Amino acid sequence: MNQREAPIIAVQDLWHTYLAGTPLETQSLRGVQLEVFAGEAVGIIGPTGSGKSTLLQHLNGLLRPQRGEVYVRGNALSRRDAAVRGVRQSVGLVFQSPEDQLFERYAGDDVAFGPRNFGLSADEVRERVRSAMEAVGLPFSCKDRLTWELSHGQRRLLALAGVLAVDPLVLVLDEPTAGLDPQGRRALLRVLSAWRKAPGRALVLASHNMEDIAEICTRVYVLSHGHVLLQGTPREVFARDDVLAPNGLTVPAAMAILLLLKARGCQVPTAALTVEEAASAIEAVLHG
Amino acid sequence: MAESGEFELLGRMTIGQYLPTGSPLHTIDPRGKLFVGVLLVLTTVATGSLLGLTLLLITVVAGFLLARIALRYALSGLRPLLPFILILALLQVFTIPQRGAASVLWHWGPLIITDASLLAGITLIGRVFAMVLTLSLLSFTTTTTELTHGIEHLLLPLQAFRFPAHELALVAIIAVRFLPILAQETERLMKAQASRGADFGRGRGNPIRRTRRLLPLVVPLFLVSLQRAEDLVLAMEARCYTGGRGRTHLIQLKARHRDYAFVAALVGIAVLAVTLSVISADHCVQGWLAGML
Repeated sequence: MNQREAPIIAVQDLWHTYLAGTPLETQSLRGVQLEVFAGEAVGIIGPTGSGKSTLLQHLNGLLRPQRGEVYVRGNALSRRDAAVRGVRQSVGLVFQSPEDQLFERYAGDDVAFGPRNFGLSADEVRERVRSAMEAVGLPFSCKDRLTWELSHGQRRLLALAGVLAVDPLVLVLDEPTAGLDPQGRRALLRVLSAWRKAPGRALVLASHNMEDIAEICTRVYVLSHGHVLLQGTPREVFARDDVLAPNGLTVPAAMAILLLLKARGCQVPTAALTVEEAASAIEAVLHG
Repeated sequence: MAESGEFELLGRMTIGQYLPTGSPLHTIDPRGKLFVGVLLVLTTVATGSLLGLTLLLITVVAGFLLARIALRYALSGLRPLLPFILILALLQVFTIPQRGAASVLWHWGPLIITDASLLAGITLIGRVFAMVLTLSLLSFTTTTTELTHGIEHLLLPLQAFRFPAHELALVAIIAVRFLPILAQETERLMKAQASRGADFGRGRGNPIRRTRRLLPLVVPLFLVSLQRAEDLVLAMEARCYTGGRGRTHLIQLKARHRDYAFVAALVGIAVLAVTLSVISADHCVQGWLAGML
């Protein structure tokens, strides 16, 4: 990761108010700073209502900055003439339960929706559909299956393929694993980390699931009441249980177990993020 | 400040919102408020006079003060309607039958403005404002639950004639509850499809193509709504819902003295407004208008 390069996305002092000027006015973001560099997987955690979804919708120009600025590859999004279509092409946004947005009868047509909108030729569209479906682990032959025949997990992968087919530089996901069974969750996380490996790409992931964050993110932002409370590597952030707990956030289960052991007087290091790391830490204590 | 409301469907709708300011008007019996609301709307239609309308407008503005809600907020909801109201008013001004008794104030070619037609135009604007403000105030101060209870209770006497009062109230509450949910879902789907490059922009292409462009929105919206409806049915079945017979309410509506006083006072105002129009006090306004121009 080269932090010297200019970030793909830079959010500077971003403020957002819903229903401004009405009695129902709600302040959602209060001066958020955030940067996304190529090669990163940025996690955003925070309690419900902390402004995660509002922030994500600013990253591809669905919401425009009311105060502050969002730069996507140098484009200032607060400008009226900002090239929003280009921004949406380079930043793909996957909403919560994206399977709800499928509308075509055949699976392949739904994946082709994005590339067609951006004006690619039939051959290019076909190629994009093939590579996107393969990237999410659905065989290309699936394109001729009825969308409604697919399982819930497969439909979510299909919706993800629909966004990947646009070939974005940054993939932004809101609660991607919510409501999936453990197998579906594993498959999705594998797809995401593999996708990010290609040069120049980056991932932004908002989640309530700390295991997801610990597993695939390289940097984490903690959002609370519309501003950034903490940021750092997952290890740095999850070490701050004193900040996370009062904000209704937890640490990954593996780390929570080690913290419990330590509280009971067992001298284990508590920095583990994954089950494997926790297991070897406990093993070291038992045998050493 | 840049436009950020590209996909905001809920923000611009003011009527239908509930604003919990906890004012005395909020605690009035919903049956009373419903009755008065319907009565005032009927009165604005019935009263043809400017004086009567002014009385109604003063009443509703006083209501806003009492409810501690900024009048500006209700007026902002009227803004999208304003062009239509103005066009209708202009039509009135230029097309109202030029009665013999009316005196011409201004004319240019075939365009004639008489005192009667000018008055008709102004009356129309006043009427729309009075109606919309009254209904807004009703929705701002009454929760949907209260409203449906109110409707059910007001329709209850009709049950003697086998009129399905409870079922009707239930249909009303479900419809009202679904509206904001549907608006939210639509917003979410629009944003999701726009992220894939969909363009719901106005105008371009022939009607068939424009309709086709809405398919990515309409198809998922139908599916999501059907799913929601199915969930609702399940939830009702799980709680052994069997219809209205023998069902009691958590909140028992009980009219107090102040509720009766409220209804009586507003019935009085309505009667006064209609009386004013019957004795046709507008002759003096017409004379005043003519004198001014």
